[in-house]
Amino acid sequence: MDRQESQGSGEAQDEFNRFVTGLARGVAGALLFALPMLMTMEMWYLGFYIARERLLLLMLLNIPLLVLLSHRIGFEETFTWREAVRDATIAYAIGILTSAVVLYVFGLLRADMPISELAGKVALQSVPASIGAMLGRSQLGSHDDDEPDRERETSYAGELLMMAAGALFLSLNVAPTEEMLVLAYKMTPWHALAIVFLSVALMHGFVYAVSFTGSHELSPETPWWHAFVRFTLPGYVVALAISFYTLWTFGRLDDTSVTEILLSVIVLSFPGAIGAAAARLIL
Amino acid sequence: MTTTRNRIHTERHDPHWIEWLTGILSAAVVVSLIGWIGYEAVIRDGKPPELSVTMLGAERTTSGFRVDFEISNSAPTTAAGVNVTGALVQNGEVVEESTVTLDYVPAESQAAGAVIFSIDPAGKQIRLQAKGYGDP
Repeated sequence: MDRQESQGSGEAQDEFNRFVTGLARGVAGALLFALPMLMTMEMWYLGFYIARERLLLLMLLNIPLLVLLSHRIGFEETFTWREAVRDATIAYAIGILTSAVVLYVFGLLRADMPISELAGKVALQSVPASIGAMLGRSQLGSHDDDEPDRERETSYAGELLMMAAGALFLSLNVAPTEEMLVLAYKMTPWHALAIVFLSVALMHGFVYAVSFTGSHELSPETPWWHAFVRFTLPGYVVALAISFYTLWTFGRLDDTSVTEILLSVIVLSFPGAIGAAAARLIL
Repeated sequence: MTTTRNRIHTERHDPHWIEWLTGILSAAVVVSLIGWIGYEAVIRDGKPPELSVTMLGAERTTSGFRVDFEISNSAPTTAAGVNVTGALVQNGEVVEESTVTLDYVPAESQAAGAVIFSIDPAGKQIRLQAKGYGDP
């Protein structure tokens, strides 16, 4: 065999192996992140009673989210948008297949169910599973790309988007459960106020005060409230918006008064805010 | 804008004006949220749930005669496990009773449900009443 040819096939083999490893990491990520939701009763029921146009909107919004996430953290250094779209598509497919397989082995998908119920259940679960697959492909991988001198800039919109992704992820975990509503019904507005202050304080503390890897620093001459106004407060508003959106998607806000809606949104924004802060550290 | 070096992110000292604008708008949103909830906290009393049931209509279905209703709670407290009983009354006598339990009727909100009768309610009086509730 010609030497050059064998080298070429070796590279192709390498490429293939890396691709398969990437897929496996995707499945691992999907399982790791979506299992809590795959094993939540409300998520199964939502699969058949969720308003179809809201489910469709969620599934469509998931596409740009995956593409943007992929562009930011894709498991291979994703340089072009074309590759980002490819990775996002693969992650979505992994999410759908993983959800279908897991729901099937739990006996939640049966042949005698109507197609709309089967599709609804899998479709709903595929959203968190695909985000998990995307994160798994990058975060479970080795970080050999962290050359010490690598410097990159994240645009302001990029920071807000990452916070939205983090908030969405944690919100999706808990929004479908009845506990969100029960908490809102049980507490008084005073409790809600305390949650608001706690959420904002934790969010700021997570990112700036506690020195995790990936923490954010301020230049010494910048006063602390600069970051508070520019990042933490917008981040909290993003978390509020995301929790409103997820509660609305799951039909938890219908026929409810403004104050009750706000209370539910504030409750759900608590995990949402933590998720948003964590995303700034991890992604 | 944020710069990442050695996995440490540093916030720029001279940000674009859009960051300040977003920040100020967000502050306004958070302050109004706190204001609204604070106002509610002050004016809300612990008045127990006040439920009223309104009939929306009756319809023949394969399983009987469905009477739709809406129940609203005007008090600032949520009622859980609300029992709604529908009675068909003819000549002052109850001919049939049907009961349904609604999981929640949130504070100052509505919930909808239906009771199903086996007798045609046409020509009879339909009496819908909330019979009891618990705390969530």
